[in-house]
Amino acid sequence: MVGRRALMQGAGALGALGGLGALAGCGGTAARASDDIAFWHLLSGPDGVTMGEMLDGYMATEGASSVTQTVLAWGAPYYTKLAMASAGGRAPDLAVMHAARVPGYAPGGLLDEWDLDLFGEFGVVKEDFPDLIWDKMVVDGKLTAIALDSHPFVLYYNTEIAEAAGVLGSDGLLLPTDNPEDFRALALELGANAPTGYGLSWGYLGDGSNQWRMFSTYYAQLGGTIDLPVGGEMEYQEELVIETIEWILSLIDGDVGNPGHDGGTAISEFATGGAGAFYGGVWESGSFRNEGVPFDMTVIPGVLGEPTAYADSHAFVLPHQMSPDEDRRRNVHAAVAYLLKNSITWAGAGHIPAYSPVVEDPSYDDLIPQSHYADAIDHLVYDPRAWFTGSGSDFHTYFGNDMQNVWARRTDPLEGWNAFVTRVNALLLKPTPM
Amino acid sequence: MTTAEGLAAPPRAATGAADHLAAGRSRRRRSDNLRGWLYCAPFLIAFGLFLIWPTFYGLWMSFTGTSLAGTNTGFVGLANWKEALGDPQVWSSLANTAWFTLLSTIPLVVVAMVLAVLVNIGLPGQWFWRLSFFMPFLLASTVVSQFWIWMYNPQLGLINTFLGWFGIEGLAWLQDPNTAMIAVVVTTVWWTVGFNFLLYLAALQNIPDQLYEAASLDGAGAWRKFRAITLPQLAPTTVLVLVLQLLASLKVFDQIYQMTNGGPGGTTRPILLYIYEAGFTGYRLGYASAISYIFFFLIIIISIAYMVISSRRSVKA
Amino acid sequence: MSIANPTTSTLSPAVPAVKAPARSTSTRRRRRPTPARIVAFVILAVLALAWLIPVLWAVLTSFKTEAEAAALPVTLFPASGFTLEAYVNVLTEGLVPRWAWNSLLTSALVTVITVTISALAGYALSRLKFAGRQMLITLIVASIMIPGQILIVPLFNLMLSLNLVDTYWGIILPQVVAAPMVFILKKFFDQIPFELEEAALMDGASRFRIFWAIVLPLSRPILGAVAIFVFIGAWNNFLWPFIVVNDSNLMTLPTGLQTVISAYGIQYAQSMAQAVLAALPLIVVFMFFQRQIIKGIATTGIAGT
Repeated sequence: MVGRRALMQGAGALGALGGLGALAGCGGTAARASDDIAFWHLLSGPDGVTMGEMLDGYMATEGASSVTQTVLAWGAPYYTKLAMASAGGRAPDLAVMHAARVPGYAPGGLLDEWDLDLFGEFGVVKEDFPDLIWDKMVVDGKLTAIALDSHPFVLYYNTEIAEAAGVLGSDGLLLPTDNPEDFRALALELGANAPTGYGLSWGYLGDGSNQWRMFSTYYAQLGGTIDLPVGGEMEYQEELVIETIEWILSLIDGDVGNPGHDGGTAISEFATGGAGAFYGGVWESGSFRNEGVPFDMTVIPGVLGEPTAYADSHAFVLPHQMSPDEDRRRNVHAAVAYLLKNSITWAGAGHIPAYSPVVEDPSYDDLIPQSHYADAIDHLVYDPRAWFTGSGSDFHTYFGNDMQNVWARRTDPLEGWNAFVTRVNALLLKPTPM
Repeated sequence: MTTAEGLAAPPRAATGAADHLAAGRSRRRRSDNLRGWLYCAPFLIAFGLFLIWPTFYGLWMSFTGTSLAGTNTGFVGLANWKEALGDPQVWSSLANTAWFTLLSTIPLVVVAMVLAVLVNIGLPGQWFWRLSFFMPFLLASTVVSQFWIWMYNPQLGLINTFLGWFGIEGLAWLQDPNTAMIAVVVTTVWWTVGFNFLLYLAALQNIPDQLYEAASLDGAGAWRKFRAITLPQLAPTTVLVLVLQLLASLKVFDQIYQMTNGGPGGTTRPILLYIYEAGFTGYRLGYASAISYIFFFLIIIISIAYMVISSRRSVKA
Repeated sequence: MSIANPTTSTLSPAVPAVKAPARSTSTRRRRRPTPARIVAFVILAVLALAWLIPVLWAVLTSFKTEAEAAALPVTLFPASGFTLEAYVNVLTEGLVPRWAWNSLLTSALVTVITVTISALAGYALSRLKFAGRQMLITLIVASIMIPGQILIVPLFNLMLSLNLVDTYWGIILPQVVAAPMVFILKKFFDQIPFELEEAALMDGASRFRIFWAIVLPLSRPILGAVAIFVFIGAWNNFLWPFIVVNDSNLMTLPTGLQTVISAYGIQYAQSMAQAVLAALPLIVVFMFFQRQIIKGIATTGIAGT
């Protein structure tokens, strides 16, 4: 009898705890209105400011939802939190991801699917996106990501130094070069007229992503390819790898470029007018403009082969929600359609809009230097597809860890590369986590 | 954990009290049975749900491929364990953890003792000394990290500015693999030394004044008194502080995640950070569980080793 | 405590009876300044200054304009005068007030729940002779061996199943398990003379009434010490709230400051203002209740976390 009473009282206590659980269920995001959109992204600095302007623009339109943006630190911290939120089922309504990271993310069900028909209502259709980019938006046959842009790795040059060096054409653009010798000669001319004495500036210390961008650009120029079959081994062309590494080393030989820069130093070297040219992502252009350094930009010249533009894309995704609000989803589609159609503003931060009507519009030609590298769209090279690649991924980190000493000339190129390949192969042997 | 054996046998007074109440009151016994469990129930439910269950469930997870998205929950045998034991990053982060523990524990004991001895002299401003040395302990790790990231800032930080006044070129303390760990250790000492300081202060105040007075009569100087009386009297506290510190330092996560995120190049990444990265950044909860348990077993081994050593010592004494 | 501040640790036998340090020093006889004492004073003053500098530097930075905080050469004091700009920005634009509220709410609930359930369990383990009591004591003491930090992965998974990720209860519940506190309270109850209770029992008072009206009032100091320790631990806890909360509106101060950044890039004066604001409540409380807090931490801290 006592036993039964105890049992019942125990059940009561358990019930009380269950009540706490129920309370918790109500505490979440469910109470928000349908026109209140929670938006996460990793864009800070000039990009963040521009995104803020675009959102203000959207919210000023009639019937617009209110969008609250939350900014998290770029790279692993952001992606970790986004994944954990999606797994928890109370994710934000809208988020930005790098397109190259979507394939590693979507199969686990952490992302919900976009509704192309709904986009149609707001005037956005498949044909509005270049094929190279659309290819990145669809994962396993589902429309998972809506690309906002592509942001390639390009060459910046200081126009004053270039003019003094006599390497500008009659159109005011950097003289085209299509072979290593000419490019080196051009860089040396730039260096001779630059305060630091360096024609080229590239920061790599502690920045695996930037090392990978540089490598990928020139490796692709040589026609090199990388395949990452799950359960297999990384496939690549060893001679081309070595040729690429040797070429990059020749650019940071202490003659053409500084042999030991970190990202920040390289940026400030160019921003303060110290270096003739600078390898970097288009997103740096906002900072350079603020610094007032006279510069222009170009697709990295195809000196080893065809020109290439290593890139990733910022893309809108729908993080998984257990019980999405239909009306709010509709509002999210409307907001994204607005952002795409007005991405000329986004182009101001240096990115090439993915939404073709914007780039094809005559007003885009007036954007300088944006229109000078718009042809990058035809030469885009993304990360090889795997669950562990993409901006800020382990793939980039590992590349940086193993190759840093190669660039610093402390390790033999093949040795560094093989160490990287070994680690990638170890990743390939692991089961896809999702 | 330092005394689990000592505690497992309940203090005699407790048993006595309960026995006494129970004696001659056997009619209460049955209701005490129910009441005892009832009073313990709220704690036990939380205890079972949030401590015991995860402990065993985590062990089970280490034998599965469970992902963050809840997929691949099937049994994979020892695959995660084999992979973890062969993963150089598991070993390097364990080595980093050990290195951090070594670097931080020694100053955290020595500095705490020095501060306590100085304060215990009884100089004016007791309130102020305690505030200065103990206050950082009350700050959240994030606050501490933000303060110190700013101190260490290569261009704008106070440390390099200060060095600059003397014509010394500063370093990128947190970005340089040679100094990052030291920088984190300095921050940790600043943050947590106050707690050990407090324990030492309490111990110092428990040393009978007569001991010092007798030594003075024998003509002992300050240093001799410190060597002959203070240090030996502080010995039990030192052992305690050492053990507490060792166990706390092994579990370091916050300030390293916040200040260096394990960088540069993984040189400051402790094991807990690697568990976080493997499980949440890398989506592999099962694998992260296996690493957690390897770490758990190491902690248990260290604890047992400590118990064996300390029991042997007490036997000798 | 299952997921707690990483700074302190476990139970100990060798704990010296900790007095409130302030008392015994104040009764110490005054001595004339001797050269040795002056040297000691100077050393202590230099060390105290060194300890305060990181805080002072942060406070000074927080009173500068953003431009000045990032300007070279670095100046110690705001050259263009002290400004509250950074504080105004942080308080009006950011989520800091929201995070402070979340911190207060979750820490207060953790404290209330922990003290309540630990006191109930501690009382039962001390006073009620029930079947399985011995086993429970052993189990609870043994559990102190489990380092809560290694449980983040299974705990997060559990929170997913309970649907508690991104909720206040998700932050609170795992923190209320504090086996060392149960044990401290049990030991304290053991020392209360049972004649008091016996007399009340004779008078027909119920057990709960005895617990509520006799035992708890007698235990006020230890309950206060436990509450202080638990509250500080919860207020400052980083790892668990960081794992279980992703929604920036539900973050506590320590996790919010770490996770959410400004869309405008790094703003030094504002991040220092945020850090100072986050530090302020406990520092102010400490200044007023120094003795109680030190005593509370010393008596429970050794056993805590």
